[in-house]
Amino acid sequence: MSETTREPDARRLATDARDRVRFEEDALALSDQVYRVARHLVGSREEAEDLMQETYARAFRSWRSFQPGTNLRAWLLRILTNLNIDRGRKLQRTPDQQPLEEGDYFLYNKLEETGDGLSDEDRVVQRLSQQDVVQALSEVPHDFRDVIVLVDLGDFSYADAAQILDIPIGTVMSRLHRGRRILKKAMAESAVGSAR
Amino acid sequence: MCNCDECEQWMQPYMDRVLTDAERAEAEAHLDDCAYCRKRYHFEVHLRQFVRQSVDEPIPAELLHKLAGLRTPLE
Repeated sequence: MSETTREPDARRLATDARDRVRFEEDALALSDQVYRVARHLVGSREEAEDLMQETYARAFRSWRSFQPGTNLRAWLLRILTNLNIDRGRKLQRTPDQQPLEEGDYFLYNKLEETGDGLSDEDRVVQRLSQQDVVQALSEVPHDFRDVIVLVDLGDFSYADAAQILDIPIGTVMSRLHRGRRILKKAMAESAVGSAR
Repeated sequence: MCNCDECEQWMQPYMDRVLTDAERAEAEAHLDDCAYCRKRYHFEVHLRQFVRQSVDEPIPAELLHKLAGLRTPLE
Protein backbone atom coordinates (compact mmCIF):
# COMPACT_ATOMS: atom_id res chain seq x y z
CA MET A 1 0.00 0.00 0.00
CA SER A 2 2.52 2.52 1.14
CA GLU A 3 4.77 1.51 -1.73
CA THR A 4 2.19 2.45 -4.32
CA THR A 5 1.78 5.94 -2.80
CA ARG A 6 5.52 6.51 -2.61
CA GLU A 7 6.27 5.25 -6.05
CA PRO A 8 4.92 8.20 -8.05
CA ASP A 9 6.90 10.51 -5.79
CA ALA A 10 10.09 8.61 -6.41
CA ARG A 11 9.40 8.55 -10.11
CA ARG A 12 8.78 12.28 -10.15
CA LEU A 13 12.07 12.88 -8.37
CA ALA A 14 13.92 10.67 -10.79
CA THR A 15 12.39 12.48 -13.76
CA ASP A 16 13.22 15.79 -12.19
CA ALA A 17 16.84 14.80 -11.66
CA ARG A 18 17.11 13.52 -15.19
CA ASP A 19 15.67 16.75 -16.62
CA ARG A 20 18.10 18.76 -14.57
CA VAL A 21 21.09 16.74 -15.69
CA ARG A 22 19.95 17.10 -19.28
CA PHE A 23 19.51 20.85 -18.85
CA GLU A 24 22.97 21.26 -17.33
CA GLU A 25 24.57 19.25 -20.11
CA ASP A 26 22.78 21.25 -22.79
CA ALA A 27 23.78 24.53 -21.16
CA LEU A 28 27.42 23.47 -20.86
CA ALA A 29 27.50 22.31 -24.46
CA LEU A 30 26.56 25.87 -25.44
CA SER A 31 29.10 27.56 -23.19
CA ASP A 32 31.66 28.05 -25.95
CA GLN A 33 29.09 29.78 -28.15
CA VAL A 34 27.84 31.87 -25.24
CA TYR A 35 31.40 32.87 -24.33
CA ARG A 36 32.24 34.00 -27.86
CA VAL A 37 29.40 36.50 -27.60
CA ALA A 38 29.92 37.40 -23.95
CA ARG A 39 33.58 38.15 -24.52
CA HIS A 40 32.66 41.19 -26.62
CA LEU A 41 29.74 42.40 -24.53
CA VAL A 42 32.25 43.37 -21.86
CA GLY A 43 35.63 45.06 -21.96
CA SER A 44 38.00 42.36 -20.77
CA ARG A 45 38.50 38.63 -20.69
CA GLU A 46 38.43 38.66 -16.88
CA GLU A 47 35.03 40.36 -16.85
CA ALA A 48 33.72 37.90 -19.42
CA GLU A 49 34.91 34.96 -17.33
CA ASP A 50 33.33 36.32 -14.13
CA LEU A 51 30.09 37.00 -15.92
CA MET A 52 30.02 33.52 -17.44
CA GLN A 53 30.42 31.95 -14.01
CA GLU A 54 27.67 34.09 -12.50
CA THR A 55 25.44 33.30 -15.45
CA TYR A 56 25.92 29.55 -15.22
CA ALA A 57 25.52 29.55 -11.44
CA ARG A 58 22.20 31.35 -11.85
CA ALA A 59 21.09 29.22 -14.78
CA PHE A 60 21.75 26.01 -12.85
CA ARG A 61 19.78 27.38 -9.88
CA SER A 62 16.80 28.50 -11.91
CA TRP A 63 16.78 25.83 -14.59
CA ARG A 64 13.08 25.18 -13.99
CA SER A 65 12.16 28.56 -15.41
CA PHE A 66 13.60 27.57 -18.80
CA GLN A 67 10.90 26.42 -21.17
CA PRO A 68 12.10 23.31 -22.98
CA GLY A 69 11.93 23.71 -26.73
CA THR A 70 12.76 27.41 -26.67
CA ASN A 71 16.16 28.89 -27.50
CA LEU A 72 18.51 27.96 -24.65
CA ARG A 73 21.43 30.01 -25.98
CA ALA A 74 19.21 33.12 -26.04
CA TRP A 75 17.94 32.31 -22.54
CA LEU A 76 21.50 32.08 -21.20
CA LEU A 77 22.48 35.33 -22.87
CA ARG A 78 19.42 37.05 -21.47
CA ILE A 79 20.61 36.10 -17.96
CA LEU A 80 24.12 37.21 -18.82
CA THR A 81 22.96 40.56 -20.16
CA ASN A 82 20.83 41.22 -17.09
CA LEU A 83 23.72 40.35 -14.79
CA ASN A 84 25.95 42.63 -16.79
CA ILE A 85 23.51 45.50 -16.31
CA ASP A 86 23.19 44.68 -12.60
CA ARG A 87 26.95 44.90 -12.30
CA GLY A 88 26.60 48.58 -12.93
CA ARG A 89 27.04 48.92 -16.61
CA LYS A 90 24.01 51.21 -16.61
CA LEU A 91 26.17 53.66 -14.72
CA GLN A 92 28.64 54.05 -17.53
CA ARG A 93 26.44 56.46 -19.36
CA THR A 94 26.57 56.45 -23.09
CA PRO A 95 28.38 59.67 -23.86
CA ASP A 96 26.00 62.53 -24.68
CA GLN A 97 27.84 63.10 -27.84
CA GLN A 98 27.41 60.04 -30.01
CA PRO A 99 30.32 59.33 -32.30
CA LEU A 100 29.90 60.81 -35.72
CA GLU A 101 29.17 58.19 -38.26
CA GLU A 102 29.71 57.98 -41.97
CA GLY A 103 27.76 56.17 -44.65
CA ASP A 104 27.77 52.42 -45.11
CA TYR A 105 30.33 52.63 -47.90
CA PHE A 106 32.74 54.83 -45.97
CA LEU A 107 35.33 52.15 -45.29
CA TYR A 108 35.21 50.86 -48.84
CA ASN A 109 35.61 54.32 -50.30
CA LYS A 110 38.42 55.20 -47.91
CA LEU A 111 40.35 52.09 -48.82
CA GLU A 112 39.71 52.59 -52.50
CA GLU A 113 41.21 56.07 -52.28
CA THR A 114 44.55 54.59 -51.31
CA GLY A 115 44.77 53.32 -54.92
CA ASP A 116 47.32 50.65 -54.12
CA GLY A 117 46.38 48.21 -56.85
CA LEU A 118 45.19 45.57 -54.40
CA SER A 119 41.83 43.85 -54.67
CA ASP A 120 39.07 45.18 -52.44
CA GLU A 121 39.24 42.15 -50.21
CA ASP A 122 43.03 42.13 -49.90
CA ARG A 123 43.05 45.75 -48.84
CA VAL A 124 41.12 44.98 -45.68
CA VAL A 125 43.40 42.16 -44.64
CA GLN A 126 46.46 44.15 -45.60
CA ARG A 127 45.51 47.28 -43.72
CA LEU A 128 43.85 45.92 -40.62
CA SER A 129 45.33 43.57 -38.08
CA GLN A 130 43.18 41.32 -35.96
CA GLN A 131 43.99 43.58 -33.01
CA ASP A 132 42.80 46.66 -34.95
CA VAL A 133 39.40 45.03 -35.41
CA VAL A 134 39.13 43.98 -31.77
CA GLN A 135 40.07 47.53 -30.78
CA ALA A 136 37.60 49.11 -33.20
CA LEU A 137 34.76 46.93 -31.89
CA SER A 138 35.58 47.77 -28.30
CA GLU A 139 35.38 51.47 -29.17
CA VAL A 140 31.77 51.20 -30.33
CA PRO A 141 29.51 52.50 -27.50
CA HIS A 142 27.95 49.54 -25.73
CA ASP A 143 24.33 50.13 -26.75
CA PHE A 144 25.39 49.77 -30.36
CA ARG A 145 28.02 47.14 -29.72
CA ASP A 146 25.56 44.81 -27.97
CA VAL A 147 23.39 44.45 -31.07
CA ILE A 148 26.38 44.01 -33.39
CA VAL A 149 27.78 41.32 -31.12
CA LEU A 150 24.47 39.45 -30.86
CA VAL A 151 23.48 39.66 -34.52
CA ASP A 152 26.77 39.70 -36.42
CA LEU A 153 28.88 37.52 -34.15
CA GLY A 154 26.22 35.49 -32.36
CA ASP A 155 23.94 34.98 -35.38
CA PHE A 156 20.85 35.91 -33.42
CA SER A 157 17.79 37.15 -35.28
CA TYR A 158 16.60 40.71 -34.71
CA ALA A 159 13.73 39.27 -32.66
CA ASP A 160 16.03 37.23 -30.41
CA ALA A 161 18.35 40.19 -29.92
CA ALA A 162 15.34 42.34 -29.00
CA GLN A 163 14.29 39.80 -26.40
CA ILE A 164 17.76 39.33 -24.96
CA LEU A 165 18.31 43.07 -24.58
CA ASP A 166 14.69 43.81 -23.69
CA ILE A 167 14.36 46.52 -26.32
CA PRO A 168 11.92 46.88 -29.24
CA ILE A 169 12.88 45.24 -32.52
CA GLY A 170 12.91 48.63 -34.25
CA THR A 171 15.57 49.75 -31.79
CA VAL A 172 17.63 46.66 -32.62
CA MET A 173 17.46 47.59 -36.29
CA SER A 174 18.37 51.23 -35.83
CA ARG A 175 21.21 50.46 -33.42
CA LEU A 176 22.55 47.80 -35.73
CA HIS A 177 22.46 50.18 -38.65
CA ARG A 178 24.27 52.95 -36.78
CA GLY A 179 26.55 50.58 -34.89
CA ARG A 180 27.91 49.00 -38.06
CA ARG A 181 28.64 52.45 -39.46
CA ILE A 182 30.42 53.47 -36.26
CA LEU A 183 32.46 50.28 -36.39
CA LYS A 184 33.39 50.81 -40.03
CA LYS A 185 34.43 54.36 -39.34
CA ALA A 186 36.69 53.19 -36.50
CA MET A 187 38.20 50.56 -38.79
CA ALA A 188 38.68 53.10 -41.57
CA GLU A 189 40.58 55.40 -39.24
CA SER A 190 42.77 52.53 -38.20
CA ALA A 191 43.31 51.27 -41.75
CA VAL A 192 44.05 54.57 -43.41
CA GLY A 193 46.02 55.82 -40.43
CA SER A 194 48.33 52.82 -40.57
CA ALA A 195 48.76 53.22 -44.32
CA ARG A 196 50.83 56.37 -43.91
CA MET B 1 24.38 54.07 -63.02
CA CYS B 2 22.20 53.71 -59.99
CA ASN B 3 20.76 55.71 -57.21
CA CYS B 4 23.34 54.73 -54.65
CA ASP B 5 21.68 56.37 -51.68
CA GLU B 6 18.97 53.83 -52.20
CA CYS B 7 21.44 50.96 -52.43
CA GLU B 8 22.97 51.92 -49.14
CA GLN B 9 19.57 51.62 -47.57
CA TRP B 10 18.92 48.05 -48.64
CA MET B 11 22.43 46.65 -48.60
CA GLN B 12 22.55 45.78 -44.90
CA PRO B 13 18.96 44.44 -44.70
CA TYR B 14 19.70 42.42 -47.83
CA MET B 15 22.74 40.87 -46.18
CA ASP B 16 20.71 40.20 -43.04
CA ARG B 17 18.09 38.45 -45.19
CA VAL B 18 15.24 40.48 -43.83
CA LEU B 19 13.90 41.93 -47.09
CA THR B 20 10.59 40.70 -48.45
CA ASP B 21 10.76 38.45 -51.51
CA ALA B 22 9.82 41.33 -53.78
CA GLU B 23 12.44 43.64 -52.28
CA ARG B 24 15.06 40.96 -52.52
CA ALA B 25 14.32 40.31 -56.15
CA GLU B 26 14.61 44.02 -56.82
CA ALA B 27 17.91 44.20 -54.93
CA GLU B 28 19.31 41.24 -56.84
CA ALA B 29 18.25 42.63 -60.19
CA HIS B 30 20.00 45.82 -59.24
CA LEU B 31 23.17 44.02 -58.14
CA ASP B 32 23.25 42.26 -61.51
CA ASP B 33 23.11 45.58 -63.30
CA CYS B 34 25.28 47.83 -61.24
CA ALA B 35 29.01 47.18 -60.89
CA TYR B 36 29.38 50.00 -58.39
CA CYS B 37 27.05 48.33 -55.90
CA ARG B 38 28.22 44.83 -56.72
CA LYS B 39 31.77 45.67 -55.74
CA ARG B 40 30.59 47.16 -52.50
CA TYR B 41 28.32 44.24 -51.81
CA HIS B 42 31.16 41.73 -52.16
CA PHE B 43 33.30 43.92 -50.00
CA GLU B 44 30.66 44.10 -47.27
CA VAL B 45 30.19 40.33 -47.24
CA HIS B 46 33.92 39.82 -47.00
CA LEU B 47 34.27 42.50 -44.33
CA ARG B 48 31.65 40.92 -42.10
CA GLN B 49 33.43 37.61 -42.32
CA PHE B 50 36.75 39.29 -41.62
CA VAL B 51 35.40 41.04 -38.51
CA ARG B 52 33.93 37.80 -37.25
CA GLN B 53 37.16 35.89 -37.64
CA SER B 54 39.26 38.68 -36.20
CA VAL B 55 37.37 38.93 -32.93
CA ASP B 56 36.60 35.25 -32.49
CA GLU B 57 37.86 33.91 -29.21
CA PRO B 58 37.02 30.41 -27.98
CA ILE B 59 36.22 29.69 -24.36
CA PRO B 60 39.36 29.10 -22.23
CA ALA B 61 39.60 25.46 -21.12
CA GLU B 62 39.97 26.52 -17.53
CA LEU B 63 36.70 28.45 -17.61
CA LEU B 64 34.90 25.51 -19.13
CA HIS B 65 36.19 23.41 -16.27
CA LYS B 66 34.98 25.96 -13.72
CA LEU B 67 31.52 26.05 -15.29
CA ALA B 68 31.26 22.27 -15.18
CA GLY B 69 32.16 22.53 -11.48
CA LEU B 70 29.05 24.64 -10.89
CA ARG B 71 26.77 21.73 -11.76
CA THR B 72 24.49 20.32 -9.12
CA PRO B 73 26.22 17.34 -7.49
CA LEU B 74 24.52 14.04 -8.20
CA GLU B 75 22.88 12.46 -5.17
